[in-house]
Amino acid sequence: MSNSNITQEVVERIKSTLGDLVKGIEEHKGFVTVYVDPENLVKAASLLKSMGFDHVKSVTVVDRIKEKVFHVGYHVSSFSDPELAKVVVELATIISREDDAKVPSLTGVWTSAEFQEREAYEFFGIIFEGHPDLRPILLAPDVAEKRPLRKDFVVKEEGIYRE
Amino acid sequence: MPGSQKAKGRVYVGNVDVAAKRAREILMKKAKVGKLVDWATAFSLWPVHLTTSCCGCEFAATWSPRFDAERYGALPWVGARQTNMILIEGTVTRKMACALRVTWEQMPYPKFAIAMGACALDGGIFYNSYNIVRPWEVIPVDVFIPGCPPRPEAVARAILELQRIIREKDLVGSWIAEGKRPDKPIVKPKEDPCAWWRG
Repeated sequence: MSNSNITQEVVERIKSTLGDLVKGIEEHKGFVTVYVDPENLVKAASLLKSMGFDHVKSVTVVDRIKEKVFHVGYHVSSFSDPELAKVVVELATIISREDDAKVPSLTGVWTSAEFQEREAYEFFGIIFEGHPDLRPILLAPDVAEKRPLRKDFVVKEEGIYRE
Repeated sequence: MPGSQKAKGRVYVGNVDVAAKRAREILMKKAKVGKLVDWATAFSLWPVHLTTSCCGCEFAATWSPRFDAERYGALPWVGARQTNMILIEGTVTRKMACALRVTWEQMPYPKFAIAMGACALDGGIFYNSYNIVRPWEVIPVDVFIPGCPPRPEAVARAILELQRIIREKDLVGSWIAEGKRPDKPIVKPKEDPCAWWRG
């Protein structure tokens, strides 16, 4: 079975499992992006987990500053189901771009999301509600307060040559 | 080469006979003990393991059998309190600057520092970043090695250069108090690198 057929099959399974929680779905060569509303995020995550997606590979945030939104995405895949292990599903949600943007934490569903949500918190300042231990993980706290990966963060320019 | 051996600050790499002859000369002529201390310290530079970045691979290769930096008397050691040289390997981030300074303060004097790689010189690929510091703002650096990453030969060269500096400037013999280095002032960071940790 070719790769696109597997992806198609997974898309169909996700559509039938999540039902009308799905706001939009995109697929591209083994990668499936499922858009849900932020208030449905935990419910959709637990449904995906019941399908067999048992771990979070990465938690990413895209700062779309022109549209004034944050795109929060959880890349999930499976270790236990060999069919589902061939695809990576992104459970994505779009939230409005504010200083203290809030999104429900998925640590209760997937434990492996805990540290990566902390990373997203320190780099983008997104508050994951319900996270057990939300504090900076990689950066020093004074650097993390600047939210360095937001697009409106400006690095102080240094001259190329020193006098 | 007999001619070049007359030059000041000569380096006897792997030539144990010449090195032993030189030590005997020092003892027989009843030179200052400081001279002998300089000579001995130059051949026992023990770097501490503080691998901050990717240059640590080259650091490891320098002490591997092919390049074998142990023949210069340098041996990487685990505890900061039993070492006298720190080899900063690459980038030093804001958090790692704290570890670097704490390690440096734990080491007994006389102590020396080599900064390795473009990142340690002036940022390298992390130039203009919000999260790195220059290691020469945290601790006093004696020798810089350019390169990204430097070859193990360059690291070996830096060790030899440090040996030459120690012998030429009589560093160890005249370094009698921890805070008073004879040739240059002790670097103190402008702001406390561990401020985020102390709270």
